[in-house]
Amino acid sequence: MEKWEKLSKMPYKEIKDLQDRKLRAFMANQIYLYSPHYSNLLKELKIDPIKVKGIDDLRHLPFTYKWDIAPTDEEPQKAKDFVIRPDEEVTEKYGHLAKMSMTGGKAMVEERVYDFKPVHIHFTTGRTAMPTPFVYSKRDLDNIREAGYRLLDVFEVTPDDIVVNCFPFAPHLAFWQTFFAGEKMNVANFHSGGGKIVGTRNLMDAFEYLRPTVAVFIPGYCYYFLREAVKQGRDFSSIKKIFFGGERVPPGLKDKIKDLFKQLGAGEVMVLATYGMTEAKVAWPECPSHEEYHGYHLYPDLEVFETIDPESGEPVGEGEEGEIVYTSLDWRGTAVLRYRTGDIAKGGLLLEPCPNCGRTVPRISSNIQRKSELKEFSMTKVKGTLVNLNNFFPLMMGHPDIEEWQVEMRKRNDDPFDMDEIYLYVAPKENIDREKLAADLKQKVLRDTEVSLTDIIFKSVPEVVSQLGMETELKEKRILDNRPS
Amino acid sequence: MQAWNKVSRMPAAAIKKMQDELFTKMIREELAVRHPYYRELFKESNINPDQIKGVEDISNLPFTEKEDLLPREADLRHPKKFVLEVPSEGEQKGKKKGFALFGKKDTGPVPSDYKFHTLYFSAGRTGKPVPFEYTHHDLRNLKEAGTRAFDVLGLTRDDTMINAFTYAPSAFFWQMFYSTVETGSTALQAGGGKVLGMEKILKAMDNMEAPVLVCAPGYAIFALQTLEHFGFSAGNLERVITGIDYAPMEAVEKMRRLMETVGANDKRVQRMYFLAEAKSGWAECEPDYGYHTNPDHIFVEIVDPESGAAVGEGEAGEVVITHLDSRGTVLLRCRTGDIATGGLVTEPCPNCKRTVPRIMGDIERKAYYFDLHSGEGPVRFDGNRLRKMMIARDDVLVWYLEINRDGNQDALNLVVKGVSGSDEGELLKSLEQELKKEVAVPLTVESATLDAVANKIGLEKFITEQVIFDNRNH
Repeated sequence: MEKWEKLSKMPYKEIKDLQDRKLRAFMANQIYLYSPHYSNLLKELKIDPIKVKGIDDLRHLPFTYKWDIAPTDEEPQKAKDFVIRPDEEVTEKYGHLAKMSMTGGKAMVEERVYDFKPVHIHFTTGRTAMPTPFVYSKRDLDNIREAGYRLLDVFEVTPDDIVVNCFPFAPHLAFWQTFFAGEKMNVANFHSGGGKIVGTRNLMDAFEYLRPTVAVFIPGYCYYFLREAVKQGRDFSSIKKIFFGGERVPPGLKDKIKDLFKQLGAGEVMVLATYGMTEAKVAWPECPSHEEYHGYHLYPDLEVFETIDPESGEPVGEGEEGEIVYTSLDWRGTAVLRYRTGDIAKGGLLLEPCPNCGRTVPRISSNIQRKSELKEFSMTKVKGTLVNLNNFFPLMMGHPDIEEWQVEMRKRNDDPFDMDEIYLYVAPKENIDREKLAADLKQKVLRDTEVSLTDIIFKSVPEVVSQLGMETELKEKRILDNRPS
Repeated sequence: MQAWNKVSRMPAAAIKKMQDELFTKMIREELAVRHPYYRELFKESNINPDQIKGVEDISNLPFTEKEDLLPREADLRHPKKFVLEVPSEGEQKGKKKGFALFGKKDTGPVPSDYKFHTLYFSAGRTGKPVPFEYTHHDLRNLKEAGTRAFDVLGLTRDDTMINAFTYAPSAFFWQMFYSTVETGSTALQAGGGKVLGMEKILKAMDNMEAPVLVCAPGYAIFALQTLEHFGFSAGNLERVITGIDYAPMEAVEKMRRLMETVGANDKRVQRMYFLAEAKSGWAECEPDYGYHTNPDHIFVEIVDPESGAAVGEGEAGEVVITHLDSRGTVLLRCRTGDIATGGLVTEPCPNCKRTVPRIMGDIERKAYYFDLHSGEGPVRFDGNRLRKMMIARDDVLVWYLEINRDGNQDALNLVVKGVSGSDEGELLKSLEQELKKEVAVPLTVESATLDAVANKIGLEKFITEQVIFDNRNH
């Protein structure tokens, strides 16, 4: 791992040299030797790892797909083959010289082996496949700590801040990335576990008790939490920054959240976004700016990002729209090569220094259409066309007249062979003309998702909040597919 | 805290001497100077800190009750009164030139040791959760307490475990987490049934081939009883570490029986005792050998729960703790409401030979002693005994008890769900007979569905299940 202060100022050419060097070593010394899946695959395809001279040669390697790694009933242990693990045979083969050494060589080999030993685990949150474990060795925990430090550094969080982590507790990346970030940055913190764990009221009490300067949230819950706080007349005047994970934050929602913080006594709160994926084992920060989007800052010593044409699999040019393909660099535990994330970066990969902060590390465009959590569930066949349910999020979250909402897909008469129906539940703000709102929504939903709603059903805020499972589910149920299969 | 290999072998006299020093230092240099609550209290009660020479003087100091700590409706920041103030830079004594050849030089308080770092809450089983502030110094102590507990339990980096303690921003979860990270053992921080649910926890145990399950006793018993229902085997399981909730020996025995029934590889059960007030938890090397405390961190007293007078070595009484080496929230003589049935012993542990004081026997809850009104006057009902009795039975899956007011007297209603295959009629009858011997108030016993009982006791909803509900209006 490089020093962030140095890395983030390196010219791109040096960064690329570094990546080339690291990839060569990683392929030859780790992946080829110790990763059972890739070791077999490379042998099968007769790919000589020595021939991978740098990141430009990645294109000669096959892609890895979610289903290659996700466990199935038949193969529940599949994910283990992606774990870099020197087994006893390998240790024996390569460690014998060190073991014979007079100066504690044996102990050192054992220590090295423990560098690889998994100590911590996260799971993917996908709803279609079985949760896939991604494991961290002790050495990897240093990587996730460093990534967290960098994330907080980009967000200009300092050890004088107090951070409240409101991500729901789970063996998932979001909660733990925030935890490890705080650990490395040495910032005072409170890892609440979210509303489901401590209860919304207790969480508000904790805010007033601690007077934090930074809060970390899932957007949907944050919006609910802040509205409740306004109702109770709470004082959150200490908050300066808030950052989100889990899903994209549409501009309309940013405005709503800033406005709510003003009502809670805070000044101009900076709303920040992160992009992360379980497979990469870290999350990246969006460059902070009140107005413009400058992309997420990547960690080129920990990974390689490629953007490709999702159809042909061919790389696209700098700044061109493409699917994000991720390759681990210098990790132990679970490591993947050319992992197809399914996420589409609308503005592509950017290699120019950031016009906002001047950091030189590669950036991935802020406008990412996520598949990993939403799309696999959302790109679903309703009325015979593929509907991109992602588009409900910016539309509904950013709509000024809407407090809460939920989409439900059903079959007419609950008959699996009958027509698909799509209902929108809406809790509007007070004193809103419902007819006007309904007409507006029907037209906008058609425009953004190319589907016409069966009906819009108006409900009260508490009713929709309860339908969403805001206080009871790990993540609220925004889109329900209740079609019988 | 000091080096564990030294502390765990210190003779009792040396431990006492160390505690005297730590205690007087804590009183004189911390509480009397920078603790808002005790500084005030000492002044009000005319307590002269200089007259406190050692731990034997502790009985001259007042107790701290849980109520003193609770946040007030009008003042959510009231618990801050128990937090040490950060010393000013000026308080740090100037560093002398030259080398310190003999021991460390005391350069006075280091401000960074006092700076707030993280916040954990008490489990809030008996009321509103109390916040406890941890500084870096406390976090180091928590990690040390965790490493020591693993040492006492005999867990090493070769172990693989599922930490199924319910997630809460509390010391019990985080101590367990830090123990695994510091020791380097493989662990899934599952967050308990509330986060993952029983099936996923069992599945993870299976996939990870984890021999160690860390779990609250009630949930561990439930998991072992329902394992087969979910279609999992316990072939890899070797030991269960319990904590959060109290595990009487009946629970240990039951877990051992169940582990044998489900074909576990071994049937070791070990207990831990976490106290939010102590900002850490302690472990037993083997059940019934006592929780090995950390005498360089916490001073433990056992007192008569009624009179507050100290009891003799090995005698039952309420656990009272005093911080000897904490920053952030610091407590003096805090009454925990927990009863140690075997008291405190200072003899070396006959099993592992460690010399630290041990809290013996089962831990019981003072809050589980109920004064009931019967037709013939007041009677005492011990919920702890009932809990042990219910745990000991192999035919009960889940249960709860309600205490209701029925006219002039109180009545008990026991609701149970038996294990699958048990004769419900028989179960209810035998429970009624057994319980009638215990208490002389009207009693009803009824059965309910698993869902109804699990929901009521909060099996996957609360940190640990709640089994006794006092519905009387006090």
